[in-house]
Amino acid sequence: MRKLAVFLKPYRFQSIIAPLFKMLEALFELFVPLIMAGIIDEGIKLKDYDIIKRNGLILVAFCITGLVCSLIAQYFAAKVAVSFAESVRNALFKKIINFSYENIDRFGSSSLITRITNDINQVQNGVNMVLRLLLRSPFVVFGAMIMAFTVNVRAALIFVVLIPLLFIAVSLITIITIPLYAKIQRSLDTLTSHVRENLTGVRVVRAFNQEAREKEEFSDDNTFFANTSLFTARISAVLNPITVIIVNVCMLVLIYRGSILVNTGNLTSGQVYALVNFMSQILVELVKLTNLFITINKAFASAGRIGDMLDTENALSDEGAIDAKELPDTESIISFENATFSYPESKEAFISNMNFVIRPGETIGIIGGTGSGKSTIASLLMRFYDVTGGEIKYKNKNIKELTLSSLRNSYSYVPQKAQLFSGTLKENLKLADPDATDEELLNAVRLSQCAEFVEDKGQGLDMPILEGGANLSGGQKQRVCIARALVKKAPILILDDSSSALDYATDSRLRKGIKTLKNLTTIIIAQRINSIMDADRIMVLDDGDIAGFDTHEKLLDTCAIYKEIYNSQKAFTE
Amino acid sequence: MKSGNVNKSTYIRIFKLIKPSIPWVILSLIMASLNVFSSLYMPVLIGRAIDEMIGAEKVSFTAIKEILLSFTVMIIVNALSGYIMTSINNKVAIKTVKDLRISLFNKIHSVPVSTIDSMGQGDILTRLISDVERLSDGLLLGFSQVFTGVLTILATLVFMVRINLMIAILVIILTPVSLFAASFISKRTFTYFKKQADLQGKLTTYINENVKGVRVVKAFNSEDAVFDEFKDKNKSYSKANLKALFYSSTTNPVTRFVNNLVYAGVGILGGILGIQGRITIGTLSCFLSYANQYTKPFNEISGVFAEFQNAVASSARIFEFLDKENRADGDEESFKLESFEGNVDVKDLSFSYDKNKKLLVDITFSVKKGDHIAIVGPTGCGKTTFINLLMRFYDPDKGDIYIDNNATTRIPKSILRKNIGMVLQDTWLKEASVLDNIRYGNPDATLEEVMEAAKKAHAHSFIMRLENGYETQLAADGENISQGQKQLLCIARLMLNIPPILILDEATSSIDTRTEIKITEAFETLMKGRTSFIVAHRLSTIRNADLILVMKGGNIIEMGNHTELINRKGFYYELLTAR
Repeated sequence: MRKLAVFLKPYRFQSIIAPLFKMLEALFELFVPLIMAGIIDEGIKLKDYDIIKRNGLILVAFCITGLVCSLIAQYFAAKVAVSFAESVRNALFKKIINFSYENIDRFGSSSLITRITNDINQVQNGVNMVLRLLLRSPFVVFGAMIMAFTVNVRAALIFVVLIPLLFIAVSLITIITIPLYAKIQRSLDTLTSHVRENLTGVRVVRAFNQEAREKEEFSDDNTFFANTSLFTARISAVLNPITVIIVNVCMLVLIYRGSILVNTGNLTSGQVYALVNFMSQILVELVKLTNLFITINKAFASAGRIGDMLDTENALSDEGAIDAKELPDTESIISFENATFSYPESKEAFISNMNFVIRPGETIGIIGGTGSGKSTIASLLMRFYDVTGGEIKYKNKNIKELTLSSLRNSYSYVPQKAQLFSGTLKENLKLADPDATDEELLNAVRLSQCAEFVEDKGQGLDMPILEGGANLSGGQKQRVCIARALVKKAPILILDDSSSALDYATDSRLRKGIKTLKNLTTIIIAQRINSIMDADRIMVLDDGDIAGFDTHEKLLDTCAIYKEIYNSQKAFTE
Repeated sequence: MKSGNVNKSTYIRIFKLIKPSIPWVILSLIMASLNVFSSLYMPVLIGRAIDEMIGAEKVSFTAIKEILLSFTVMIIVNALSGYIMTSINNKVAIKTVKDLRISLFNKIHSVPVSTIDSMGQGDILTRLISDVERLSDGLLLGFSQVFTGVLTILATLVFMVRINLMIAILVIILTPVSLFAASFISKRTFTYFKKQADLQGKLTTYINENVKGVRVVKAFNSEDAVFDEFKDKNKSYSKANLKALFYSSTTNPVTRFVNNLVYAGVGILGGILGIQGRITIGTLSCFLSYANQYTKPFNEISGVFAEFQNAVASSARIFEFLDKENRADGDEESFKLESFEGNVDVKDLSFSYDKNKKLLVDITFSVKKGDHIAIVGPTGCGKTTFINLLMRFYDPDKGDIYIDNNATTRIPKSILRKNIGMVLQDTWLKEASVLDNIRYGNPDATLEEVMEAAKKAHAHSFIMRLENGYETQLAADGENISQGQKQLLCIARLMLNIPPILILDEATSSIDTRTEIKITEAFETLMKGRTSFIVAHRLSTIRNADLILVMKGGNIIEMGNHTELINRKGFYYELLTAR
């Protein structure tokens, strides 16, 4: 919470102006009933046209100053809220793109997106409303009461009863309904995810002939949602009649007492009018105040979620680190020395005491079962995660002593999940190197076997790519990702199971193309033995341990697991 | 927002939607009238009471008591009618929403899969959730607000005219000012809101992409470049946001200004008339309280109007989906066969998603019961399409597929699908327990049967390692288990009840090799005696097939068993020897 208040600091001045002018406007409003009482008691009763003229002009003047004050207030409130939201959004976005993998995993990408969009909007709304109303409404409520006392103490006593009574009724119902509204939202979420599930799984639902059951389940969820909504609506519908009753009963008492006081000559009818008017003002302001509470409540919940993220420290820091580019060439480019890693919140080590060395220019294949640690090795190399024990070295230097950006610049990485951005092919490729020439880009396109389909679409590097690469097939997306990595021209290329959607022929051409690149250390992670058979050495992983690390031929002799994999996939080369 | 044409029939259908609730709506309108009347009558009573308070010793308490008695009645009428009105409106709105969502959901399962594919899942989801919401907010609740608002304005005018014509005329003259102000602001606001929504969409897309792809952003060290672009987008959005927010927040001050102007006018004119004795103080107080609330309904109506337009547009989109043609189906009554042998004949089959891009052209082949057919070819060659046709998710353009000499177009889909089991390329699991997921097709299966199936699919051991074993709840899209495990569950789901025809669509592509060996074994027992179509890249599966269909560019270009195809030295040979 305090974390967020910092973002308001630059707008301190505007944050004071807005409520100040709001109160100024309210002040004028509070005097209006008295001036009207003047028209009644002095003007009409004493038949004095001058007083009517004077008081009338005052009213018009109040109208105009009120408008000016409130426009100023609205503008500054909006300005503060928007600027505040803009800077929080910037801070949050920066935080997210600098998050470690660990933190991304912890929050989940959809939750991160909700926070930076919805939650910020809620907080912005909260800030805006608070600046406009938080001071104004109580000011009017108590101001109207004080004004009433200045009119007549005995008649005004009823206000002392009215305000707490109204306040209790209003806040009671608000407190009851807030959790109910949350419940409605939750059941709407359930409903939404049910529909989404049925849309994505429509083929399976039909394949298993389960349409009737899905309909029934949806109907249950839908009924639950309707019933919750109805129940909540019924409770909140009580609010209005209750306030009507409270205020009007007080009005009734006021009129009765007023009539007694008028009868004894302690009150004039103009004053009765003013009192009645103050009472209506209080009602209007209290209703606004309730809505404000609901907004504030939502804003607080959102602010908490945002604060959570801002409070999250990134595990990795760059202090005192050196640039990987400066390192001299060495015998080993990558080495694991007793490297141990366990995922957060997991007791068992995922990788324990792993040791190996990769020499510059080597092509290394990594093969092994699901969960054997193939992708984890890639993540550790680029410090998406940090080892929990032992060391990983790049050119004989512990990677923790290198700057993060220079370390990552040493790798061209093709992730398992092909991730593209909307824009053109060129823009996607240039992500890897903004200064790359068209020639370099086209070269990467050729090497990665994209050329064929890029030519087919006839727009060359300007070929549009839709959000999530929706206009490309799975295999095409993978190839564009490979092209992107090749554009980067880093000393080490990692292909993380990234040709799985390619057919044999394309996959093979791709690997041949990559082989032509000089001085490139290549790490190919794969499920298919064909993809790695030709590697200089192959690492066989089994449950986080290295079961073998040698050439294809030698592994066939020495490594039982490798042999098993080979036999199961063996192509017949007659 | 996509499509949905608003026309006359839209309004008629909206009316039909509410038709069953018409008696309730009428009752609600009566209550609204009572509510408006009583709220307008209360200031009149207060005015009369004030008029009784002429001065010291001149107050008539009997009159005051009478007035207060009527006042009490009005309080009760007002509170009750208000409560009943709101309750009825909520009830009608919620019930309409409920029914509408049911019909929309049922529609999802009545349209052909092609409709869902072509409309897009997000689009349908929006119609079912947000559009329905907007319809209920704008149309049902908005309607009652507009009704109350208009009634209040009219009744206020009538009350005023009856009480004092001169002041009434003053108020009526000032009315257009209020209308003008409201429409001026709402037009401005609308323009800026549109601009804001546009920029917000762009910003959200940018956030979506980069947060989902944050790993790539990091891998390429492009955090700074991405952040700079975000900052620009954020800035232009915030600019539009400020304008939209400011203009919309001027509504209140401006209408309050008009209100206050009316109030001052009534005060001055009332004062003058009061001196001339043509109006009492009580009447003036009544007028003043009318003037105080006079512009409120104008405000509400102009606010509701925008929502109303949205609601009509939304309902057009809802109806558009409801009007989609239902899938054709064979006659369930007349079709006698319950289960098939598994002989499949494909005759002159042609199909394309897009008329200009031919996909499957004149395909003919036939397989006997128990045959294993491997479909191979490069990506995008039409393998998945073939499956879509066999399962009749899509209809062929020409020709047909026959099962045991029955055209699939004539077989009722429920019977067809009961006889074909499939593991699809995209794994799909429900947000439910592991147990319920495995017995998805057979809800009555016991835990023992489910465990048996899971063992056959080699899923048992990993399931037992999950936190709650078979009772473990899967998250949406099965996000809490790995891709390989998801596929194992899909296979187990099929194991529970093995139909005579199987479709295995790259089912094992992300399961690791060692597990795959076990699954292949399990599959072999599973496929024994069953006609099986296997879409696969893996050679081990292909090698053992009775028939291999080699597809390229949407057509079958080679057909035969492994040895035959190798000897032919054609495309198949090329595919396999390219290494």
